[in-house]
Amino acid sequence: MIDVIQALAVIGILAAALVSGSLLAPYVVRVLTGAPTRLDRFLDPVEKRVYGLIGADPTVAMGWKQYFFAALLLNLAQMAIAFAILVAQGVLPLNPQGFPGLRWDLALNTVVSFATNTNLQHYAGEATLSYFSQMTAIQFLQFTSAATGVCVMAAMVRGFKPGSAHMGNFYVDFVRVLTRIILPLCILAALVLVALGVPQTIGGYVAVKTVEGATQTLLVGPVASLVAIMQIGTNGGGYFGANSAYPFQNPNPATDVLQIYLMLLIPTTLVFVFGEMIGKKKETRPILIGSYSLLAIDLVIGFLGSIPTVGPGIETRFGGFFSTFWTVITTAVTTGSVNASLSGINPLGILSAFMGMLIQATPGGKGVGVMYMIMYIVITVFVVGLMTGRTPEYLGVKINARDVKLVMVAFLVHPIAILVPTIAAYATKAVDAIPGFTSLPTSVGFTQVLYEFASSAANNGSDFFGAAANTPFFNLSTAAVIFVGRYVPIAILLALAGSMIGRKRVAEQSLRTDGAAFSVVLIGSILLLVVLAFLPFLMLGPLLTYFQGMVNFFG
Amino acid sequence: MSSKVSKWKTYRPVIALSILSMLVCGLAYPLLITGVSQAAFPYQANGSQVQLGGRVVGSYYIDNGFTLPIFFHGRNETNPLTASASGVDPDITLSDALSQVPRISNATGIPASSLDALVKAHERWTLWVTGDPYVNVLELNLALIAAYPSSYPGYA
Amino acid sequence: MARRLPGVDRILGRARLARRPSALTSKTLADSVLRLNPVSLLANPVMLIVELTFFVVAAMAAYPYAFVPFASPGERWFYVEVAAILLVTVWFSTLSDSLAEQQAKNTANSLKRLETEVPAKKVVTEGWERQIVHTESTKLQKGDLVLLEKGDVVPMDAEVLEGIAMVDESLVTGESAAVRKAPGDSLIGGSKVASDTMTVRVAVNPGESYLDQMVRLVESSKRPKTPNEVAITMVLFGLSAVFTIIIASILGLSVTLGLSVDLSVLIALYVCLLPTTIGALLPAIGLSGISRLYERKVVAKSGRAIETAGDTDAILLDKTGTITVGNRQAVEMIPLGGKTEKEVGEAAFLSSWFDDTPEGRSVIRLGHEKGYVPRELNALTMSEVYDFSAQTRTSGVKLHFGASFVLPKGSVQRVRRKFYLEDASEQGMHLSGEETEIVKGAPDSFLRSGFKVPQGFQELVDRVASEGDTPMAVARDHEVIGLVRLKDVLKTGTREKIEAVRSMGIRPVMITGDQPLTAKSIASEVGIDEFVAQVKPEDKYSIVLKEQSQNHIVAMIGDGTNDAPALAAADVGLAMNSGTEAAKEAANMVDLESNPAKIIDVVLLGKQLLMTRGAVTAFSISNDVAKYFAILPVMFATAFPALESFNVLGLNLQTAVLSALIFNAVIIPMLIPLAMRGVTFKPSSTMSLFLRNVLIYGVGGVIVPFIGIKLIDLLLGVL
Repeated sequence: MIDVIQALAVIGILAAALVSGSLLAPYVVRVLTGAPTRLDRFLDPVEKRVYGLIGADPTVAMGWKQYFFAALLLNLAQMAIAFAILVAQGVLPLNPQGFPGLRWDLALNTVVSFATNTNLQHYAGEATLSYFSQMTAIQFLQFTSAATGVCVMAAMVRGFKPGSAHMGNFYVDFVRVLTRIILPLCILAALVLVALGVPQTIGGYVAVKTVEGATQTLLVGPVASLVAIMQIGTNGGGYFGANSAYPFQNPNPATDVLQIYLMLLIPTTLVFVFGEMIGKKKETRPILIGSYSLLAIDLVIGFLGSIPTVGPGIETRFGGFFSTFWTVITTAVTTGSVNASLSGINPLGILSAFMGMLIQATPGGKGVGVMYMIMYIVITVFVVGLMTGRTPEYLGVKINARDVKLVMVAFLVHPIAILVPTIAAYATKAVDAIPGFTSLPTSVGFTQVLYEFASSAANNGSDFFGAAANTPFFNLSTAAVIFVGRYVPIAILLALAGSMIGRKRVAEQSLRTDGAAFSVVLIGSILLLVVLAFLPFLMLGPLLTYFQGMVNFFG
Repeated sequence: MSSKVSKWKTYRPVIALSILSMLVCGLAYPLLITGVSQAAFPYQANGSQVQLGGRVVGSYYIDNGFTLPIFFHGRNETNPLTASASGVDPDITLSDALSQVPRISNATGIPASSLDALVKAHERWTLWVTGDPYVNVLELNLALIAAYPSSYPGYA
Repeated sequence: MARRLPGVDRILGRARLARRPSALTSKTLADSVLRLNPVSLLANPVMLIVELTFFVVAAMAAYPYAFVPFASPGERWFYVEVAAILLVTVWFSTLSDSLAEQQAKNTANSLKRLETEVPAKKVVTEGWERQIVHTESTKLQKGDLVLLEKGDVVPMDAEVLEGIAMVDESLVTGESAAVRKAPGDSLIGGSKVASDTMTVRVAVNPGESYLDQMVRLVESSKRPKTPNEVAITMVLFGLSAVFTIIIASILGLSVTLGLSVDLSVLIALYVCLLPTTIGALLPAIGLSGISRLYERKVVAKSGRAIETAGDTDAILLDKTGTITVGNRQAVEMIPLGGKTEKEVGEAAFLSSWFDDTPEGRSVIRLGHEKGYVPRELNALTMSEVYDFSAQTRTSGVKLHFGASFVLPKGSVQRVRRKFYLEDASEQGMHLSGEETEIVKGAPDSFLRSGFKVPQGFQELVDRVASEGDTPMAVARDHEVIGLVRLKDVLKTGTREKIEAVRSMGIRPVMITGDQPLTAKSIASEVGIDEFVAQVKPEDKYSIVLKEQSQNHIVAMIGDGTNDAPALAAADVGLAMNSGTEAAKEAANMVDLESNPAKIIDVVLLGKQLLMTRGAVTAFSISNDVAKYFAILPVMFATAFPALESFNVLGLNLQTAVLSALIFNAVIIPMLIPLAMRGVTFKPSSTMSLFLRNVLIYGVGGVIVPFIGIKLIDLLLGVL
């Protein structure tokens, strides 16, 4: 349990995210709708030149298929570039440590993972990647995946917006989101992080003699620029294997709080963007109340267990409280960065992390969190809305059989993508290749495997294994799960939104979705759906660990 | 021919935008941050390096690996059941530090009460002004050397 | 604070048709058993899966050794029990189908009985000879001519060719007064000729009537799924797929982690998780919705139409017949320009003498009651009649007093019979050799030149209109002498129904040919805010389109050919059975009783159907939580005793699985009455209905099985 001051700290950080999210949202909407902004003077000519250079007509209006395939193709091309860089980093510049190129399966896993905003890392960056790779493969993909997430959400919102005729232009969205939202925020955040103690250099690792005369290497590099985008973009892939537990990535409580805040910032902003952009600000309410209430439930569950002052896998400067808090938040917004070893978190904290990854909308990853929430809203509106005695409608559109089919398929992706490979990992004995796995208690081992695939499917990226899972099976299986977990739901939900265009809207909505009543029902319905789909497995994993009396996952 | 042209028209934005975004986000952005940071915050940007007697002895944020009985020790990072997540945790809890006072007092002859006071003077908290107290081991040891140079010959 | 409305059942009133008892008959039982055939379950995938699992568990019971390590031969008796419950679960589902279909057929047949097997006198023309052939109604074809005499039953829907007769439609419509039918009018099969003779032409072929369409709609095998049912089936498919993945994964883990899960327990969990409750009751709910409509003698052409009725958010209500009983009654004579009430009354009496409309007859009746029977009565036989003309919107008489004459013998008796007059003179009267013209009609039609309009005319007209009554002006010799106040008689119970639909967020819009002041007054009297006045029948179409362009879902009624385009355009078009064929063709529902107020009932019934479906779905899904807590601890307890902490209900591990499975099965028959009767609700705002139903069926659906399973478990413990 936590004390009052800690509770106030939690509330303060969440409140800060909510306030700044609501303040930032109108600006984001201006960017997404092409309304004038202050940056126009500098950026308009640049953008015009960019469109000319890439040969894209910014006036073309896209349907959902065009939009989706433009996004997918761009992501694939970016994966290809990053793959080439990772495999060839040995002969590329800015490699003072002389790291060799990556094995193909690890490189593939890494680019798929980063291009999809997942950032599952089967490597330790400080011992594997050159500065060039950290910048041109990792940071590059962290930017583009975050921008892609915002773009597809904007497209989805346009589909649902009454009276809209198309989904927008992907290239325009992508360029504007990058130049007007993500890059400015990252520049600001990176400089603050540096000021607070995060290194930013390309001068190479520093070899020193310690006070006692031993040799020590200080693993400095372009860290702050990466930390800024990894948190703001809900990417989560760190510069170091230990991620934000490593002091150079997260040197003190101030950077810790800042990073938690940065993780929450854009997902929270996008919740407000939804209502603002759709033209019905009140429609943000169910998403806002729903996502933050579920987050609160997650936090309560996470903090119910024992919170050590410090312990194995937990950094002294953060303690059990900030480690658990971070773990809940990083999964709630599917960032996947960690400031502790997950093995050091108590089972209820891990249960809470599972909830975040399985719900994916608390408030979820950049862009996709809102998309998943709309998916839940459509399911809920349909099932409970019938009880008002009318064919249920959302935003005035009657939910038809095809809509229901699409959301049910989108909902199905998750259980399949998580459960099938989990069983396969055991059945093929691939788990035995992970050092020390066979000696773990069943519940602990199962939690770790389930977490690996849940994290992959949810495009979260945090994991228990890290570089230990750098095996062909885990590299390829998680890459496949990540890919499916990212693009299939996005395609389905864009198709759903695309089908809203031109549909008849009823004048009077029978079931009002913009009030507290619906929000409460929505929360219940989401919990019910997720509990129904995953309870047996959570029981065999974190819950069993908890009931067996373990306080962490060190076995 | 025309299909080749139309294919190029489809793929050109994808390829061109990929390369362009890589150059901007992957190179221009981190290099810009590096340049500004090196100019504005050179100490932090280079890893908060700590000097002792004009020599860089480590980073404020990285465990300096003290093993001698005359110093405060960092966490035992070799045992998984006591290790931190990073393996280079620069801090120890206040109680950990205080528990080491008798050993250091024995080894150096510095009165335990003075050591206690020194530890308390370097206390920090996980929640800024409240929360769990901890101390930075390197900072504490450097303060120790500075306060009792005679007890630490060859270090000052 | 709004008045509390009674429940929907009270508002809808008792069904007109006695509900056929849906008791278990041996026929229904046999039918339900036949439906266990897997092939006939193809349309219901959830129950098909349950039946397949029955075969698996039955095989486990028969050959337990073949299933090791997923079965333990020592548990054979348990497998028998599980298999039995699974089969019973499927049977409960087929039973609900059979019951609902039986009920719907019974209702449909009792409606159909109204038109079947009556003797008919078919008119056969051979050369110049007309012959009457006695036959049966069922043998008549469309176009056949039939002679109807006093006392005959109209054999089929027909159109009058010759003759005028009074027809009693009370058997079909419930309206007791006989209706005058003239050439061109349509007759409803089943009504009875009260007086006179006429020749009619049969309008439909046997099997073509709406009643026949209706019977087809309730044969479940032929009934297409409605859009809403398809969407719910998608949800059920999706959930079934999720649970299939879960069960397969547990089976996989059982092997790879060595959990030693018993296959029958896993199957029990599977079946408990599957949305069996809604899967079993979904067809019955749809059929019962149709039945409830039939019980009120409304025939829907498709199940989709009933759903759309529930979606309606604007109802166009014809004032006449829906809000008012249809005929205005004269209640007051108001003199103008220094004339006396008697002068006005007598003039009105004379001008209405040849007016057979209800209004005209009410003027005569009022005149008689007040003693304003004019002395010029005798002159009427020599008068010139001005029939109602749409152009002048007036009617009247011109009396000639040139020759003195005597009322023909017997005519006074006829007058007496008709109007119960006692003081009409039987003596011939000599009248002065003059002419007088008396005209009555809409007040504004007298504003044209040629009429002298006294002071205060317009004020009086407006006053009468604003009091909700219709002013009728009376003019004698081109001078307006007064008004007759015609009062609309409100239908009883309409106000309550209108309040009910309004409280559910539906806009009633009154449509009337009346002038705006009258319309406004009547509308406000029954609680309607919106009305469209001075509507001609052909305007209805544009009103429907206007509402639809504002994204409303519109329900309306109609009977005339003029109404057909509007009926076709409306989302829900309810035609009167007494209306023209064109109207009935265009509409998607027909009210056999020809009661326009039924449109409101139809909307409420549509809502009830959707609500019932949603309620059982939510209940079914919510039930799963408790079943997890009942079965999972048992399933994993062998491998991980620590998970017994999950046995929050403190169930006996030996019987927990059976308890959950039994609950899962018996909840189906327990909900059959709800499915067939429909969810009861008090009309109230959408959100309060929503919250109430979420609490009862959603939250209740989580709690009830915890209690139910625990009780069954205790019971099993005693046994």
